[in-house]
Amino acid sequence: MFSFRRCGHRVAISLTKQYLPFAGLSRDSAAPCSPHFDVVVVGGGHAGTEAAAAAARCGSRTLLLTHRVDTIGEARQMSCNPSFGGIGKGHLMREVDALDGLCSRICDQSGVHYKVLNRRKGPAVWGLRAQIDRKLYKQNMQKEILNTPLLTVREGAVEDLILAEPEPEHTGKCRVSGVVLVDGSTVYAESVILTTGTFLRGMIVIGLEMHPAGRLGDQPSMGLAQTLERLGFVVGRLKTGTPPRIAKETINFSILNKQTPDNPSIPFSFVNETVWIKPEDQLPCYLTHTNPRVDKIVLENLHLNSHVKETTRGPRYCPSIESKVLRFPNRVHQVWLEPEGMDSDLIYPQGLSVTLPAELQEKMIMCIRGLENAKMTQPGYGVQYDYLDPRQITPSLETHLVQRLFFAGQINGTTGYEEAAAQGVIAGINASLRVSRKPPFIVSRTEGYIGVLIDDLTTLGTCEPYRMFTSRVEFRLSLRPDNADSRLTFRGYKEAGCVSQQRYERASWMKSSLEEGISVLKSIEFSSSKWKKLIPQASISTARSLPVRALDVLKYEEVDMELLAKAIPESLKKYTKCRELAERLKIEATYESVVIHQLQEIKEVQRDEALQLPKDLDYLTIRDVSLSHEVREKLHFSRPQTIGAASRIPGVTPAAIINLLRFVKTTQQRQGAMNKLPQTDEYLRDTDKLQEREL
Amino acid sequence: MWRELWTLAARAARGSCRLCTRQSSGAPAFGSGATIFALSSGQGRCGIAVIRTSGPASSHALQSLTAPRDLPPARSASLRLLSDPHTGEPLDRALVLWFPGPQSFTGEDCVEFHVHGGPAVVSGVLQALGSVPGLRPAEAGEFTRRAFAHGKLSLTEVEGLADLIHAETEAQRRQALRQLDGELGQLCHSWAETLTKALAHVEAYIDFGEDDNLEEGVLEQADSQVQGLVVSLDAHLRDARRGQRLRSGAHVVVTGPPNAGKSSLVNLLSQKPVSIVSPEPGTTRDVLEIPVDLAGFPALLSDTAGLREGVGPVEQEGVRRARERLEQADLILAVLDASDLASPSSCSFLDTVVALLGAQSQRLLLVLNKSDLLPSAGLGPGPNLPPHLLLSCLTREGLDGLLEALKKELAVVCGDPSTGPPLLTRARHRHHLQGCLDALGHYKQTRDLALAAEALRIARRHLTHLTGGGGTEEVLDIIFRDFCVGK
Repeated sequence: MFSFRRCGHRVAISLTKQYLPFAGLSRDSAAPCSPHFDVVVVGGGHAGTEAAAAAARCGSRTLLLTHRVDTIGEARQMSCNPSFGGIGKGHLMREVDALDGLCSRICDQSGVHYKVLNRRKGPAVWGLRAQIDRKLYKQNMQKEILNTPLLTVREGAVEDLILAEPEPEHTGKCRVSGVVLVDGSTVYAESVILTTGTFLRGMIVIGLEMHPAGRLGDQPSMGLAQTLERLGFVVGRLKTGTPPRIAKETINFSILNKQTPDNPSIPFSFVNETVWIKPEDQLPCYLTHTNPRVDKIVLENLHLNSHVKETTRGPRYCPSIESKVLRFPNRVHQVWLEPEGMDSDLIYPQGLSVTLPAELQEKMIMCIRGLENAKMTQPGYGVQYDYLDPRQITPSLETHLVQRLFFAGQINGTTGYEEAAAQGVIAGINASLRVSRKPPFIVSRTEGYIGVLIDDLTTLGTCEPYRMFTSRVEFRLSLRPDNADSRLTFRGYKEAGCVSQQRYERASWMKSSLEEGISVLKSIEFSSSKWKKLIPQASISTARSLPVRALDVLKYEEVDMELLAKAIPESLKKYTKCRELAERLKIEATYESVVIHQLQEIKEVQRDEALQLPKDLDYLTIRDVSLSHEVREKLHFSRPQTIGAASRIPGVTPAAIINLLRFVKTTQQRQGAMNKLPQTDEYLRDTDKLQEREL
Repeated sequence: MWRELWTLAARAARGSCRLCTRQSSGAPAFGSGATIFALSSGQGRCGIAVIRTSGPASSHALQSLTAPRDLPPARSASLRLLSDPHTGEPLDRALVLWFPGPQSFTGEDCVEFHVHGGPAVVSGVLQALGSVPGLRPAEAGEFTRRAFAHGKLSLTEVEGLADLIHAETEAQRRQALRQLDGELGQLCHSWAETLTKALAHVEAYIDFGEDDNLEEGVLEQADSQVQGLVVSLDAHLRDARRGQRLRSGAHVVVTGPPNAGKSSLVNLLSQKPVSIVSPEPGTTRDVLEIPVDLAGFPALLSDTAGLREGVGPVEQEGVRRARERLEQADLILAVLDASDLASPSSCSFLDTVVALLGAQSQRLLLVLNKSDLLPSAGLGPGPNLPPHLLLSCLTREGLDGLLEALKKELAVVCGDPSTGPPLLTRARHRHHLQGCLDALGHYKQTRDLALAAEALRIARRHLTHLTGGGGTEEVLDIIFRDFCVGK
């Protein structure tokens, strides 16, 4: 029925009613005792909480189903490090926040060590990062989730999906209309979002031992995994891991490199001026290194390490100490000792992810400087889990196969809190828009890291846990952490309705202040020799005879708004009163000329992305288009939504693109003609408009 | 200075790696802010060559080349003296036409220069245009695509567009192969490799420099690699010798099994004894090239070694070169011995080579030589033959028919402006190398690492336009190969 080229196991059987539990059951005939929601979100991790909150913000009655309410806001496996943000990931946090997402605000209430990475490398690649107090984060997240209007939280494990006849106006084999819980009860929903993380057939591996990754005494959801396979979803397998935890009081910090937090702390959220825990109260991190003794333990015990030997695709980068030692032998590797919280007695040794048997892990830890007497409180372990090939979802994160079913987070093959949160927000918004029959909310790769993330996943898929890097982003100089609000907040407010009035007004004020500031800076012009007198600190070149704008002077590394305002107080003083505004003006000046030209390129890409491909196109059979079989298969599997996305699929040739384009234009004209038959005049004008918009 | 860099960016290649996502398919954007130029007349013998530009900087380009005169009246031919905007050196006295958009072929502002067809003039004007800010050489089919984007082509006219683009892409691929075959190509590849590595290291420093322990000196290493590149690019661009000389004309390659009479055919067509002919198979071992006039079209005729396996190393090398030459051919003359069609070498040649080349939609004429040896009844009931021509190199019987067929084929090949007059290819080459060099200069000047990396990205985009490839994945592969990163 489908043609699949990818590795990974799958059961593609023909989909008939007998395989659909409750097939044909529409919501009208639902038993009155079964609850009914607009959006049901399965999973309470980072993707799930963001998705549920976003759907509720958009006005949908939303249910968040999680195993236990008291674990909301906790990464399911506890497998990840207690930090948020970083390079590339900090960009995602800012964008989630610009759409009024939760994680940035909750982090600002819970951060115990703030640090901006890449400070000296240019503001486009600054990486906002913070160590988070796990307990505080969980508390604050639960408070937020439990107090979100329209959002209900319930405990329960989902075993199956309820499927119904598809809506004829959309593509897809069937439509999801609710979920079946383990206890057999049902919940009906207009849209369902799955954020089950590593829960699908998750297996935990330590040494040679392997056991299912469900919570203690709780099997991981086999039923759900089987249903997805039965529906024809292509499944792949990935692996990840976590380091052991170490008792804080057993570490000899005095001989280690101490890293103190930034002062002042730069908050993640646009709505926060400061963070909750003051810089002077924040906790330090420490740095130590591995040594040849660690390598020796790893290399001598490979036979006891099934996770490392397994063939399941791990990433090209080195998440575990084993891969570091194997691929980069005879090197010293960093281990960051990160606090888990203000009153936590645990330390997370970042960089020491390991799957050796527990006693060898302890032995290995004790080889490391500062950890000679360390007590391991919990061993590290590996996790292997199913993910669904993300080329099976649209950029709105809805699946091609099942209408109104959305996937977000690790289930799509990503790794990291921020990647999960970003998908969560987008899935939540779109699940809600779908219910209210509004067009989907899609972030283009010209608009944000979120767009790059989702476009990469949906058009190219992934063979390793996908992590955000700034090097993946073409328009890196335009998509910066500082301007995420001006890129996304207005769209979120107008198109999705997921942004609060207060945030919208704040972003509007910032936008107009920036515009005004820039135009003032452009209007002030002096000769370079006069600038040299005004700001002697700056190395202004006097070679040019043309007058120099204040904006150009602000580009010099050693000049900031403060300095500029001292030279010309009457017109510039007011822009230094708000620290954020002054900093953003400086950044805008730095990248001004570059961004103007990047805008040109962005427009070209957007033109291609405005050219929608019909969703119901059957690439394998369409006749009016001449396409090679290989190209047809590629298009069939990825189902690109625009000409732009199609052109990014490897192997789709320029000639194929032109053929597709011609096909789309012909179809459009035919439809246009049908819709507008009687009024010839209007029809002509309309096609003009169409072309303007589409091209 | 960044303003300049971004003008470069706008001039940089827009094709395969404009969105550097892995190995993207390379469909350029529809419609564009950049102004493109190309030689739009064919490469056949002509007194006048037409060079066309399209895009917002067209008027600026016209004024730059004809400065200081005003724009001529729209849509009427005017005589102007063209000169190089930088050196002031006069190029040609030419007819120029100014078509302000939207009433033009593409719907954008367009200019046409009708210059005298000599290679020096055309090359000079192309190079002058390439040096005007905002202008870059057009991609395959780009003029037509722009016309389509602006609603200037009806859907029926567009029918052939995809085929045209396919053909142009193919032609450019062959042209690029020819060029990359030689020393220059190897140079470009090694430059691109060095640059990708330098970029990967800078990107690694940005993405992982603070969290993971990269070795010391990553940036310094990248700096010195860039410095080395600047020196060798600069030297190359200054070098007056043009290296491997690219010959004008369609590339016509003669191939066939040993002793079919390929060399005889070459000698016949070139009207002089170029190749040694003997009844012994394997006489020709290397590729012999000769510029000829075929049915009025300039062509480069290549005689190649007969394709066969299992002979001495010298002839093996000759066979390898012959196959390589086939890849690059515009037109192939496949020669078989008409009196020997049933022999294993003829059959295997028909089955493998002819079928394969046909499948790759390369232009091919099948010539059955030695027709004088055939019985008077003509060809017997031989194997199922594709369309073919009968010829006797000895008696010259069938020569007129062959020339007629050649004329038809070459008209198609040479009528296509993008089959790359080498002049245009060379102009494109210089354009991208200069663009790369300029961007590298900006890399050295900036202290903001994000801006520096952007300069390297632009420089790489220029180079990969000559060499192909250039996705983000390539960069990530190097990062993960060279550095131990990840948590």
